[in-house]
Amino acid sequence: MGLRSTRIRGPLGRILAAVLLGATALTGCGPTANVVTDVGATGGTPVRGGTATMALPPAASPNWIFPIGAPGYLATYNKAIQNLLFLPLYTAEKKGDALTMDSPRNLAEQPRYSDGNKTVTITLKKGYTWSDGVPVTTRDVKFWFDLIKGNKKEWAGYSPSLMPDDVTAFETVDDRTFRLRLDRAYNPAWFTGNQLDSFLALPVHAWNPRNEDPKTAFARLTQHAKQFSQFATDPLWKTVNGPWTIEKWNTSGQVSLVPNKNYRGPDKPHLDRVVFKPFTTADSEFNVLRAGGVDYGYIPPSVMAQSAKFKEMGYRIDPWDGWAITYIVLNFNHPTAGPLLRQSYLRQALQYLIDQKSISKVIWHGSAAPTLGPVPAGLLDGEPYPYDPEQAKRLLAAHGWADRDGTLRCVRPGTGAAECGTGVKDGQELRLSLLSQSGSTETSNTMQAIKSEFGKAGITLDIRQQPLNTVLGTTVPCKKDEPICGEWQLGFFGTQGSWYFPTDPSGEKLFATNAPSNMGNWSDPRTDRLIRDTEYSDAPAAMRDYGREVARQLPVLWTPNPAYQVSAIRNDLRGIDQNVTLTLAPQDWYFVTKDGAGK
Amino acid sequence: MTTTALDATQPEAALATPSLARRTLTVFARNKLALTGALVLLGLLAFCFLGPLIHPTDQIHTDLTQASLAPGGAHPLGTTDLGYDLLGRLMYGGQTSLEVGLAAGLLATLFGTVYGAVAGYFGGWVDAAMMRVTDAALAIPALFLLVVVAAIVTPSKPVLILIIASVAWLSPARLIRGEALALRSRDYIHAMRLMGGGGGRAVFRHIVPNAIGTVIVNATFQIADAILYVAYLSFLGLSIPPPAADWGSMLSAGITYTQVGYWWLIFPPGIAIVLVVAAFNFIGDGLRDAFDVRLTKN
Repeated sequence: MGLRSTRIRGPLGRILAAVLLGATALTGCGPTANVVTDVGATGGTPVRGGTATMALPPAASPNWIFPIGAPGYLATYNKAIQNLLFLPLYTAEKKGDALTMDSPRNLAEQPRYSDGNKTVTITLKKGYTWSDGVPVTTRDVKFWFDLIKGNKKEWAGYSPSLMPDDVTAFETVDDRTFRLRLDRAYNPAWFTGNQLDSFLALPVHAWNPRNEDPKTAFARLTQHAKQFSQFATDPLWKTVNGPWTIEKWNTSGQVSLVPNKNYRGPDKPHLDRVVFKPFTTADSEFNVLRAGGVDYGYIPPSVMAQSAKFKEMGYRIDPWDGWAITYIVLNFNHPTAGPLLRQSYLRQALQYLIDQKSISKVIWHGSAAPTLGPVPAGLLDGEPYPYDPEQAKRLLAAHGWADRDGTLRCVRPGTGAAECGTGVKDGQELRLSLLSQSGSTETSNTMQAIKSEFGKAGITLDIRQQPLNTVLGTTVPCKKDEPICGEWQLGFFGTQGSWYFPTDPSGEKLFATNAPSNMGNWSDPRTDRLIRDTEYSDAPAAMRDYGREVARQLPVLWTPNPAYQVSAIRNDLRGIDQNVTLTLAPQDWYFVTKDGAGK
Repeated sequence: MTTTALDATQPEAALATPSLARRTLTVFARNKLALTGALVLLGLLAFCFLGPLIHPTDQIHTDLTQASLAPGGAHPLGTTDLGYDLLGRLMYGGQTSLEVGLAAGLLATLFGTVYGAVAGYFGGWVDAAMMRVTDAALAIPALFLLVVVAAIVTPSKPVLILIIASVAWLSPARLIRGEALALRSRDYIHAMRLMGGGGGRAVFRHIVPNAIGTVIVNATFQIADAILYVAYLSFLGLSIPPPAADWGSMLSAGITYTQVGYWWLIFPPGIAIVLVVAAFNFIGDGLRDAFDVRLTKN
């Protein structure tokens, strides 16, 4: 009868192969692991040239080249790649235990403050040119400033009353020097670390040859920036002043950079090419790493205990800790979830249900640590809401929530102290949905553990997983009447940390009203005042007060903060500095060989 | 009157006599592999649906204090990385795999059979149009379609059943269309037409019942295929969201821990998938032989 399906062989064969692969791997009978290099972690002779391939985070692909960030395109890898093409005037660099802004990679000399910290004078370093040979001048910085000033609502870095609002005048002194007049005196360390860090020079001669007004020019440049498939071919993006230039940029997110031959900085690339390779999941990256397909990748936290195997293969294992915090964003403007999330007792109850210590230890295998608040843990007293499910249940019961068939429902609506709170309806179910990034077993398991704890307390949490770019594009600041505000209630994009601090870990971009990275639309006058205090004063108390208040207020739910990644780097690839601010400097990377032969 | 006359023309009426059915069963029972397949399938059904009564476990809530325990004591097959008892999860996950596989396989067979029978019986431009649709759909890799659809919608049991059935019906449609082409020229079909019978009656009362052997045997393979596709999609991370589980997602989760030697996360779901698929294939082979014998004797 010939009924046998021919398709059966494909899937059956693959499942059988997976089982057999697992069996052979577990019994140690598999083929000898690929040894990627016989060079040890030290020694060897540096050589010029070669191609280094670095793995990008799971389910993440670079999708924004225009160095003026747009909402929804703020992933760290976008910024890291942009900085290799377009030099920032100032970039944070770790020196000892502190972050400083006097990196030799800076395009400008150290800023000079005068007039009671109300004027800043900045001088560009000598000799820098664009890749077409045209010198980098203050006109290029002014072009950037005019673009963000004329289009501040479209700039993802804009916070009301801060850059560019806090600059009353941009005065060009000469080709290399300009002066900023500020609207008041600022804490110089804060201003350099958190305001001047966004300053760039953009090639006005190439990007605005017809002297269009800032709005027209910005619209045109943004239009080009949305042509993802043309990043490598569009002449606009060929004019750079950084150490690298684009060779290829695939629509899948693979980016290949080659040295900018006209780069005049002190850190000229040693390699011929650097490739950033995207992966849909951490598991797929791990498989490619084991096969020797990437030179600089990462291993899942679950296999950290087996790092010796990777050392045998010729990799060195080096956890990359970022200066970051991790959290679940709460959308206070969501039509149905917003009124729930605005109740502080409810946020406290949710936080009491997150067992950060166990999740860090068991799910992240010790490669994560609890997040305690919006500033580094040393500035805080401790965990204001440690894991305590009974306390969570008590809080909810005390505010009018009762168990009905395993689900909590509001039985005492109203605004009184013992009632559910403003906007919560009689009989309303305590049900929330979470949009979480996909691609990581640890993140999926973290969300399952949280869902489970919420479920035990009678709170239903529906989890939807999407690639990181989708999550970042959805969880954007929004107004109540905007359709996108109804698309998400809780959001998570912290597999590799949710927020990396600027040099000064103040919250003007994170928790201030209408701040660009205030995804959940948190708005609290006291928080705003405390944030402003950190901008004006360099007193340590200002930062502590802000940190403690926000840790207590819970504008987000704190979750374990993982290492950026547990890196596995080929022994013969050197010069890698895993900066806590996640900047990349592949121009410093180089290969070594045993005998000094070319790579 | 008409009904009686038509019934008299139907060869399947004779085929359905008790002696022939018994002979079919006897032939099936003599096929040791088929019988083993049936017993294994019954065993797995009992394991998945009755097992939780003997070994009740919490498969909804995680327990991080019990994560990644090796087999032994209270957890005969160990625990998962979130502290779920693996034996219980195997039963729980098996329910999803079997339910979705059975439902998708049967739905695909049902739709494919009717589609193929209609195309084959009516022939001409109807057949040409319907079969070009089938050919076009077959030209697109099934896995590609499944992955695309599963990535767009959030998978649930009904959604998985629909998306798997939506690509699996093509094979039975082509098969039954071939049978229908042969059956439409039989005398009893001509007789039915002369007596005023319409297309619907021909398809549902004559073509499909006379191709029932082919349909049943194909259904077993369709179910096996569907179970594999559930596993395959889950293995690629497109499963029903946790805490739901199926064998494919369990296998996928276990592969993560290959390097650290948590064998108990891989072998049980892997073996269960192989067993159930092999069982359905053996049963299908046995049924094919049984129907072949029955038709030959007839």
